[in-house]
Amino acid sequence: MNIIETNKLTKYYGKSLGILDVNLSIKKGEIFGFIGPNGAGKSTTIRILMGLIGATGGSATIFGKDIKHFGPEIKEEIGYMPSEVFYYDDMKVIDLLRYSGSFYKKDPKVIESRIKELSDYMDLDLRKKIDDLSYGNKKKVNIIQGLLHEPKLIILDEPTGGLDPLMQQKFFDLLKVENQKGATILFSSHILSEVQKLCDRVAIIKGGSIIRVVKISSLADSIYKRIKLETVKPIDKKKFANLKGMGGFTMNGNSINFLFRGQINDVTKIIAGLNLKNMLVEEPDLEEIFMHYYKKRQ
Amino acid sequence: MNIFWREIKTYRGSTLFWTSIFCLIVIVFFMMYSSFSNDVTGLQKTLLHFPVAVRSAFNISMQSFFTIYGYFAYLITFVSLAGAFQAMNLGLGMLAKEDGGKTVDFLLTKPISRNKVITSKLIATVILLILTNIVFSAVSLALAAVFSTTSLNSTTFLLIAATLFMIQIFFLSLGLLLSVVLPKIKSIIAVSLPTVFTFFAIGAFGAIIGDENIRYINPFKYYDSNFIINNKTYDLKFVVVEAILVVAFIWISYLLYSKKDIQAIS
Repeated sequence: MNIIETNKLTKYYGKSLGILDVNLSIKKGEIFGFIGPNGAGKSTTIRILMGLIGATGGSATIFGKDIKHFGPEIKEEIGYMPSEVFYYDDMKVIDLLRYSGSFYKKDPKVIESRIKELSDYMDLDLRKKIDDLSYGNKKKVNIIQGLLHEPKLIILDEPTGGLDPLMQQKFFDLLKVENQKGATILFSSHILSEVQKLCDRVAIIKGGSIIRVVKISSLADSIYKRIKLETVKPIDKKKFANLKGMGGFTMNGNSINFLFRGQINDVTKIIAGLNLKNMLVEEPDLEEIFMHYYKKRQ
Repeated sequence: MNIFWREIKTYRGSTLFWTSIFCLIVIVFFMMYSSFSNDVTGLQKTLLHFPVAVRSAFNISMQSFFTIYGYFAYLITFVSLAGAFQAMNLGLGMLAKEDGGKTVDFLLTKPISRNKVITSKLIATVILLILTNIVFSAVSLALAAVFSTTSLNSTTFLLIAATLFMIQIFFLSLGLLLSVVLPKIKSIIAVSLPTVFTFFAIGAFGAIIGDENIRYINPFKYYDSNFIINNKTYDLKFVVVEAILVVAFIWISYLLYSKKDIQAIS
């Protein structure tokens, strides 16, 4: 059974398009990335799933239940972390977290120990007033309130902004632990390296439509390698003319730069005959892949 | 229950504030009552010089003004004006405060239906108003018992006191409705102040031109003190009018809010 399944999910804000015919199926135990530039429709999709806005077309199920009719029941098992965090200013961290926990059917003692455990791990002072917290610390409150009821589905809408790299790593580790315990994760971001680090599969969204859904691992396999060479003396371009699977060849003085996908031995044979100063073989990051898909579509 | 207690906690300060204001108005007015009731004939003469329109605008009835009931009904005019603000702020604040404080995302992504959110908040605010009114009525009745020169009929007196609650319920439900209908409420007072004053002005205006029908659209005039003093009950047709309006306001609020799009924070 798919944990999240959407069928031609569509949202118009008046006349302007939010998302169009979004089809997603996210499997149990998956860490699913949702990536696209700002305004592409990531938040719209997530807000529909969370019942904050209503779809104008299509349907969606979570845990096999229709989101329109089983909202509260579904949300019992979802941990949601929005990108912007706003809480009741007059509350202390502990009050807010207890208030958050009080909505769930879980045993208050379990929630209390989760709060303790998570706040220790995230290094957050529970006695402070929310109002007095720094942006990064508010984000930590956001993370803890989303995880304190041990949800089976974690939905994150650009949750990492404002976290320092160390804390971000801790946060990702935490998510991985939850994932190993069986939680499914939907992770939306416009930062590709984040998604690359964490996710199994990723949906690329632009202009309100899903362009592609791809496995992160297959992306890396099937994708071009970037090869950079620096020679002692300028060489004859023709040496590379018959190389199969090469693209984007540039030569600038002693530097050679090209993308390659094919038999790596073919490259090494040519390179073996050169007098090299330096050589780099790089995996292009998702950013490049991403641009690749966008360009293809256009 | 969690939302209920959260709401009670949020508003306990302001409820205490409003309750004190109401009690203060009653105390000040009743302190003046003894000197006022000593010279009834002199005052009656002075008041007769006032045009009828002015008298009715200020809810001064020559028939009953000089009794403790009439005097109390007169001061209730001011209390209910303030009370309308209290109620309307509560009604508007229920949902608008979550929206304005941007906590609405937090609340509505919890496992609770929107209808339950409104219900919890509605019960909490009604209870706050009931508490306000219990204190206000008790303080008023005690003061009246002390200052009244004649024997006091507590039924009549409490019926007049309870008009505050009746008016507040109207403005509570109107506030709730407006908070759902209006797109984005930046300041609650900016909505409640003109609304309450408009209703109050309509009432005063209606009394001046003497148009009876205007009473139907004005909660301040639903519970006429002379009628209560003479009949020891409310005018039933206005109770029905208010009940219909209140139920309609609340029902529409539930209906609209359950479908409302909660826009992302920008």
